[in-house]
Amino acid sequence: MLRQSSKFSLLSTALLTTATSFALMGSAYAWSLEEAAAPYKGVTIRTIGEALPPLEAMSKLAPEFEQRTGIKVEIEMYEHSEAVSKVMLDLNSKRGRYDFIIQPHRELGKFVTNGHVQPLGDFLQSAELRDPEFKPDEQLYQRLWKEISWYNDQVYGFPFTALSMYMWYRSDLLGDEKEKEGFKAKYGYDLAPAKNWDQYRDIAEWFTRPDQNLYGTALQGKRHEALWYEWLNFLYSFGGDMLEAKSGSECGPVIVNSPQAIAATEYYKSLKAFSPPDTLNYFWDDVMALMQQGTVAQLIMWNDATYAVAVDESASTVVGKMGFDTVPEGEGGTIAQAEGWTYLIPTSSKNKEAAYLFIQWMMDYDQQLRQHLNGGATARPDVYASDEVQKLPYSKASMASNEVAKPKPTLPQSSEITDILVRELSSYLADEKSAKEALDRSAEEISALLGSCAPMKYPVQ
Amino acid sequence: MSKTAANPHGRFLLDHGSSLPLILPATLLVLVFLVGPFGYMTYTAMTDLSFANPDQKGAFIGFDNFRQLMRNDPIFWGSFWLTVRFVLAAVCIEFVLGFAIALLIWHFIKRQRLLTTLLLVPMMLAPVAVGLIWRLLLQGDFGMVTYYLHKLGLLSKASAIFSTPSLVMPAIIAIDVWQWTPFVTLIILAGLMSLPKSPFEAATIDGAGPWRQFTDIMLPLLRPIIALVLLLRGIDAFKEFDKVFIMTGGGPGTVSELLSIYAYRVNFKNWNLGYGATVAFMVYLVVLILCSVFYKAVYWKSANIGGR
Repeated sequence: MLRQSSKFSLLSTALLTTATSFALMGSAYAWSLEEAAAPYKGVTIRTIGEALPPLEAMSKLAPEFEQRTGIKVEIEMYEHSEAVSKVMLDLNSKRGRYDFIIQPHRELGKFVTNGHVQPLGDFLQSAELRDPEFKPDEQLYQRLWKEISWYNDQVYGFPFTALSMYMWYRSDLLGDEKEKEGFKAKYGYDLAPAKNWDQYRDIAEWFTRPDQNLYGTALQGKRHEALWYEWLNFLYSFGGDMLEAKSGSECGPVIVNSPQAIAATEYYKSLKAFSPPDTLNYFWDDVMALMQQGTVAQLIMWNDATYAVAVDESASTVVGKMGFDTVPEGEGGTIAQAEGWTYLIPTSSKNKEAAYLFIQWMMDYDQQLRQHLNGGATARPDVYASDEVQKLPYSKASMASNEVAKPKPTLPQSSEITDILVRELSSYLADEKSAKEALDRSAEEISALLGSCAPMKYPVQ
Repeated sequence: MSKTAANPHGRFLLDHGSSLPLILPATLLVLVFLVGPFGYMTYTAMTDLSFANPDQKGAFIGFDNFRQLMRNDPIFWGSFWLTVRFVLAAVCIEFVLGFAIALLIWHFIKRQRLLTTLLLVPMMLAPVAVGLIWRLLLQGDFGMVTYYLHKLGLLSKASAIFSTPSLVMPAIIAIDVWQWTPFVTLIILAGLMSLPKSPFEAATIDGAGPWRQFTDIMLPLLRPIIALVLLLRGIDAFKEFDKVFIMTGGGPGTVSELLSIYAYRVNFKNWNLGYGATVAFMVYLVVLILCSVFYKAVYWKSANIGGR
């Protein structure tokens, strides 16, 4: 008995000692931002991105990081195209002006294949830099993260914004009893947020009343990237695509002139009749302003622009009158186009470690929540699940769109593909050519641009 | 002691007639900022350099880009002819209007200094500012000019200038005329003020009417000034970029895609720098030809009139 008792006490002591030593070791090696950042105290890191609410929200959070680490953060904000071209010039000059960059993910292939950006595998394995609480493979929407920030199975960054487009509509107009009566009398079914494209066009037609300064929709028809982004929703929804490929970094046969793509493009143009007269001069800022002024009944728009219309009372006249839903369903199902701006670290950066620490800190739940509530578009499902985010009127539509978001090419030639399609779509909208001619021409140019990996599946006669 | 003996360097510079040290700074500036970049652009035009495609590292490809441009680039040629039409229309209207206004001021207005100062205003604005101002004025939903065009019935209420392809280029030409007619007016007015009075007095005594005096005396005497104005405006209009880029971005479609906008897209949207340099080289070549044709046509005639 005694022997048993002494054995037990020995075992207990051993266990206690082991537990204590592990606890001590744990506390000695507990990761903290302050300690990780200590070697970089006094360093200034500079970044660049698009001047929109998510970046403005980041600039408000940055002083907190500066206070904790002593690393100063400088943020340059520019209009979309300017933010992209400035980065290209800096990366090619190898000046290293930017320690990390925030760029649209369609640029990723160009950066990776030219060796401009740093793979982040080493940072994620570094005991000094990696916060053990940061688990991107558990905490992020995996499909979006892989699409936005990975290239050829290697991680290059983390999503700054996980963007998609969905339907915005005026819930007050669609819920109005008089409107409902009139609509049912004319179209034979109940007025409700559009579930398919036929309904979408009926609603657009019904609410087009130029004498009341009200229009059924607003197309982003300017010769600008906005046109291409908007059209992609119609293309995907009608069952079309640009390339036959499984991921953005994969090349494949060109199918941009498929019958589905032509049908989508013709349908898209048919909505021009229900859009304000200056629709060929609009891009995202213009249609957002129209919605804020209450002159449009419904449109397809970005999730990161929603805050300024649905929540910001200082900028919008329709707060409380807005509803949101996924893009109407077509032959291709319910679908949205995936886009995202991603944090990347240039190989020419002089402060890669400090930049990584800031990005990692920004990806933390607290920062993601605060950024999202101030107009961001997080890639963390747990942020979407929070009560505060759920209260935002657009959260459900945003989450649903994230689930069905479809990738687009991120190949090195993706900018040229975009430029070709913007030009041809704009030509079609301007009545310079038919939808088939515009898409055939696009297919020929894209195929020639990509070479042997991208034959034309629908050869031009 | 003579000055040259006291200063051998002065003798070297002035007495021996060597001007090299005097023109050296200007020569260096021209070499560094004009000849050097031009040489680099010419070389780049013969490479496949691309910032986007990693396979195109800038290998020398001779005249391949030029061949592609001349034979197989309908967008380039579309932009080229559009630019030519824009230059002809804008510069002709600016010249006729500017000349007429200058004559009116010269004949009828005494306080010319105040008026010329006011005329300077549109010219002093940066092209980007002009683009932004007119983009707002012609905006389809709340643009002030659009509002009055609708009110006056000059524009259908279902139309907006920049969304109606047939109206886009006329609007761009009108805006260019608004901005640059004062420039023509000022230069022509300066020319008119410097004309000698005696030929006109002699012509009046001989019984020549105002039209005869205008065509046979005033125009020949103003020929160098006119040439200068047309040359400067022609070159400037050929390079037009900022206003059009801000207002339409080259659209809708390719309706307003001038050559400079096409060059911008090739270079800074697609990052195809080799081909972009070829487009830029062609713009330079056209401007160079324009300059030499104008210069020879006008100054050769002026020299002949002068009896040389």
